[in-house]
Amino acid sequence: MSVFSQSFSPCGRFLAAGNNYGEIALFSLSAALSPDATALSQKPILTFTAHEGPVFSLVSTDCQLLSAGNGEVSAWSWSELIKKNVKALWTKKPKYRSSLEIPEINSMKLQSRDNSLVIGAGDNNVHILDLEHGVFKSVLQGHSDYIHCVSVREREAEILSGGEDGAVRIWDSRTGQSVHCIEVYKYETCARPQYGKWISCLTTDSDWMLCGGGPSLSLWHLRSLSPTSVFPLSGCQRYSVFHQDMILAVGEGPFVSHCLLGGDVKAQIPCSLQSVNTLQLNSNSTEHQVLTVGGSSKHIDVFTNLSYRAFSLSF
Amino acid sequence: MGAVTDDEVIRKRLLIDGDGAGDDRRINVLLKSFTKWCSSPGPPEEGFTQRMLGTLAQCEFSMGKTMMVYNMNLREMENYEDIYRNIEQNITSAHEKIADCKKEIQRAKRIRKNRQEYDALAKIIQQHPDRHETLQQLEALDKELQQLSNIKDRVDAKLELRKKQFHVLLSTIQELQQTLDNDEKADDDNNQGSPAENGD
Repeated sequence: MSVFSQSFSPCGRFLAAGNNYGEIALFSLSAALSPDATALSQKPILTFTAHEGPVFSLVSTDCQLLSAGNGEVSAWSWSELIKKNVKALWTKKPKYRSSLEIPEINSMKLQSRDNSLVIGAGDNNVHILDLEHGVFKSVLQGHSDYIHCVSVREREAEILSGGEDGAVRIWDSRTGQSVHCIEVYKYETCARPQYGKWISCLTTDSDWMLCGGGPSLSLWHLRSLSPTSVFPLSGCQRYSVFHQDMILAVGEGPFVSHCLLGGDVKAQIPCSLQSVNTLQLNSNSTEHQVLTVGGSSKHIDVFTNLSYRAFSLSF
Repeated sequence: MGAVTDDEVIRKRLLIDGDGAGDDRRINVLLKSFTKWCSSPGPPEEGFTQRMLGTLAQCEFSMGKTMMVYNMNLREMENYEDIYRNIEQNITSAHEKIADCKKEIQRAKRIRKNRQEYDALAKIIQQHPDRHETLQQLEALDKELQQLSNIKDRVDAKLELRKKQFHVLLSTIQELQQTLDNDEKADDDNNQGSPAENGD
């Protein structure tokens, strides 16, 4: 079993995780972190099958959980899920050109400025769903191969998408035009031709962008569109995030890498998974500030302190 | 009601007795000897009075000791209360200091992040050439461009002049040729006319 996606509830007390069987499991963090936690509290309080295909992406709004699987997006109410009432609020499918094969949805991000959901799909396009009206507003076309990851720059209202074709495209979310296209594998400092040119992780912090995958994980300055630091991590990184003054990255290899913006790898904290697919930091609750990682096993490692693994939740 | 007070009495007596095993006995002995002294006929023995006074003194002494112990305990209690309050104050101030330090850490992390970003940008900027140099190079190129265009203008002017002079030369030659041809033709006509006249 592989865990592909995670999301914390808006109250911060629950964690939802999606696996490759299309199931979503809900874990209670308050039970697992309490001083009298038993082995039972590390099991999910609720497991249900959400989609027929793997759940590649989970996103939480302030009252709903949005899950993507089998080419469609479903919405579940968090309060209903906490009461163990499994009923999807709605399920929508973006308009794919070919109706023969259903492309999977690899990544979703919430754009809070206009309450829309940015969906990176396997049909090489980025679809934008307006959550208020429930219609697909626009389609951003330009990639020549499927999209792995999307990210949103709130301040400049831009959407970044990275795909299998090795290009990171920056789109203006209002006009839907591609503003820039960065082909990461063409830069000698980052390129790793032995792994390929695909971009599997993309994250942005307004002026800076982290991207990695086939090429090494690199930090880019978006104003000048130039790579400033390249991180010497072996293996392909699948998820990275900016946290305070550090960068946390996970991917192939049983550890969570802590890196500094200057390009040094500060620490590599071991975890129990052989290869890690997803990493999430709980910022919704002050007393359950944990880091959870999931990957190629049924366990989800929980780090209460960033420096060591505390325990594991189990699917 | 009677049972309750009995329990109380028993409890109290046990408490008192637990203190010093001799005290209660001493008071009982004193009481017994006093009643014996009161109810004994005839002159009392000398030692008896002394013994009773001695026992009384012992009881008073014991009571004084207990009173002092009681006062000492009260003062110890106060002392402990003070220390307790002090420790509580220290705890709250330590909590506050921890909160302040946490804020400081957040600030320091932000500053560190900003510094690292500056460093990263500075690295890139260093790779680009100096603006001063580039401006100078631009100026030099401009000057060269200016000079070359001046030369081009001059050469163009010269070419134009020569072209015009050649044009004038060629047109003059053409006109001269025309005039010579005309004169020849005129001469031929004259020559043809006069032999005709001579033949008459």
